[in-house]
Amino acid sequence: MLARRASQAPLFASTSTSPSPIRFSSTTSSSAKEPPKSTVDPTEVSHFNALASSWWDPVGPSRLLHLMNPLRHTFISRCRNASPSASPASNLRYLDIGCGGGIFAESAARLAHTASVTAIDPTPEVLKIAEVHKRRDPMIAAPGKLTYINTSIEDLPQPKTPQEGYDIVSLFEVLEHVNAPGPFLEHIMPHVKPGGWLVLSTISRTWTSWLVTNVMAEDVLGIVPKGTHDWAKYVNESELRDWFYGKPGWGELKTMGVMYVPGLGWKEVTGSEGWGNYFFAVRRAE
Amino acid sequence: MPPRIPCRAHRAACATPAVRCRIRLQRRSASTAASAPEIYDVVCVGGGPAGLSLLAGLKASPVTNGLKVALIDGQDLQKNRLQKDATLDSFSNRCSSLTPASMRNLQEIGVWRHANASRIQPYQEMQVWDGVSDARISFDWDTARSFGPRKPTQPTTIAYMIENVNTVSALLGRLEELGGVDMFASTKVDAIELGTDTEQLDLSSWPVLSLSNGKSLAARLLVGADGANSPVRTFAGIPSRGFDYSRHGVVATLKLSNSGWGGPDHKIAYQRFLPSGPIAMLPMPGNFATLVWSTTPERAAKLKSLSPADFSAMVNAGFRLSLTDLEYLHTLPSGQAEEIAWREKHTPVDERALPVRVTDVQSGSVASFPLRMRHADTYTGERVALVGDAAHTVHPLAGQGLNQGQGDAAALVRTISHAVQTGQDIGSTLALESYNAARYAENNAMMGVCDKLHRLYSVESGPIVGLRSLGLRAVDAMGPLKGFFMNRAAGGV
Repeated sequence: MLARRASQAPLFASTSTSPSPIRFSSTTSSSAKEPPKSTVDPTEVSHFNALASSWWDPVGPSRLLHLMNPLRHTFISRCRNASPSASPASNLRYLDIGCGGGIFAESAARLAHTASVTAIDPTPEVLKIAEVHKRRDPMIAAPGKLTYINTSIEDLPQPKTPQEGYDIVSLFEVLEHVNAPGPFLEHIMPHVKPGGWLVLSTISRTWTSWLVTNVMAEDVLGIVPKGTHDWAKYVNESELRDWFYGKPGWGELKTMGVMYVPGLGWKEVTGSEGWGNYFFAVRRAE
Repeated sequence: MPPRIPCRAHRAACATPAVRCRIRLQRRSASTAASAPEIYDVVCVGGGPAGLSLLAGLKASPVTNGLKVALIDGQDLQKNRLQKDATLDSFSNRCSSLTPASMRNLQEIGVWRHANASRIQPYQEMQVWDGVSDARISFDWDTARSFGPRKPTQPTTIAYMIENVNTVSALLGRLEELGGVDMFASTKVDAIELGTDTEQLDLSSWPVLSLSNGKSLAARLLVGADGANSPVRTFAGIPSRGFDYSRHGVVATLKLSNSGWGGPDHKIAYQRFLPSGPIAMLPMPGNFATLVWSTTPERAAKLKSLSPADFSAMVNAGFRLSLTDLEYLHTLPSGQAEEIAWREKHTPVDERALPVRVTDVQSGSVASFPLRMRHADTYTGERVALVGDAAHTVHPLAGQGLNQGQGDAAALVRTISHAVQTGQDIGSTLALESYNAARYAENNAMMGVCDKLHRLYSVESGPIVGLRSLGLRAVDAMGPLKGFFMNRAAGGV
């Protein structure tokens, strides 16, 4: 059932000047008709199973993710503040897709404005880690505050009405691990409440990102576990942008390029969304 | 005023493996605790200037004032407060030179207006000289001009002399105004142990404090503001390294013949480097000044034994007479006043370059304390942060101890605030990393400078004396360089 979605969906020729083949599907109607199939790659699930035990080690393999986490909130705040008719300032409901060990989900649950966080991941082992770690903080262990569900987004029941959707749907460092980003996003979008935000972060597919994430981070420096990244799966910011321009009822696109500088941590670098790690947000019209 | 908190467990654990083992043992012993501990976000042990400043900073900010916080101190904090009817003819002998940076922070968190302003003395000039060669440097914002004319907005104050009791009273006043801090004063910490892993919650990474009043508090973040012998630091297994200078600091409140050469509106601080340590006189309001004389333990004991008249004469001599004279005067059992009066007649000095004469010493104000240099290996551990003397003890030479503690508190408030805004667990080592990064290097540099100055001026003869005098005169002649040093001393950029 975890077939490579890319082989089924028609490849869509992008207008971008990207050097590699585009797996990015922009079929809208076809995916709705098909039975829900997971866009999750089984090799990715087993890779993250193996990483599970060290997920919360502050100096372990997930250190870069931990260090990036505050920037995610900075970016979300920036999106919400920039919006003229801002979504409610409190009692926000979050859906975190591909939550892993819960780095973002826990932090979102701790924020003063958060009502609840639902966090899903298809990898059972990392979710066990997330559940164990949640019990270490009474603030988020309170019933109903943070709920982990072992599921893919395709199997998560869709909201009955748009208003039952989530204020923030997050997809951090997930897109680069997905086989067919287009259908994957199509599954996610109905979960966003009108006026809410879909926020994601990923890596551009350029020669610099290949050099940095696959060669430097995994092979040379060893700061990211080997096999974490498959460069061919990376999605460029321009591809996302073009894809969402074709979606009626979605707009207010925002991006922020970030870069990891050894010794300084993650820093915002204007323009780097074109060639490295970047945040991307899009708002569903009210 | 280090809070005295006897802590029954964990003494003298230095090596990391021993600490790990000890913590496991504690976890087991804690599991026998009867009732569940009360959960706090921040528990601060120690109600000195650093700890109180941290709590005031947290409660004054809208980002962090929702945190549940507690303060524990072994002493009755109200007893440490300045009397409402305190008069200006008596001052505490424990004073600090608060830098403009520290003062600005206290202003920002609303503390400064709670201070008794009439008891604070800003000073605008500093005279420092070498007791061996008489090479001199004077610091004031007029001679320390930058390239170009002095702007009217530039500060004229080098620092503010303030009694520690005034600082603490202001902080307590502000905390009362803000509210929301659970105060456990006159309460001792009987034990700090790691919490337990129960069905509902896993508190095995949380420090749980057993208090002498029977309460038990679990701390998301435990702050050690508990002084040089910090039980919190011991609990966290963070070693503190350093040495004793085999020097004592003699403090006293001095009465002077007048308000000083610059009058009440231009006060001057004086420091003379003697091989046994610097003697410093810092201005207080009116005709008062405070003394900090670093010297050998033997000489400190001698000074403390003298009559008020002999003690006052010795302070005057400390700024005026030769090293040989001073050495001889310390050997006399008494009668220094007459001896000094005779010797001064034969020692030509420029009185205008020296502090005005001490006429009396406030009774009961002469005290001494051993000088130490200590620095913790790190300021943070899992769910632990150290501030103030718990993290570092510095030679009081540049008057930076209290300022470093205030800087720690402000930096920890910033770190906690950022963690709260980004949903981090404020006790996690990741969230605390920025606090350690912000403060460790800066404190280490300041401690290094103070320590090296001490060593430099301990030398009585030889080429070092010539070189250091040359250096002092050169800096004195170069306005912009002097401005740089003054900015650093003032806690600026």
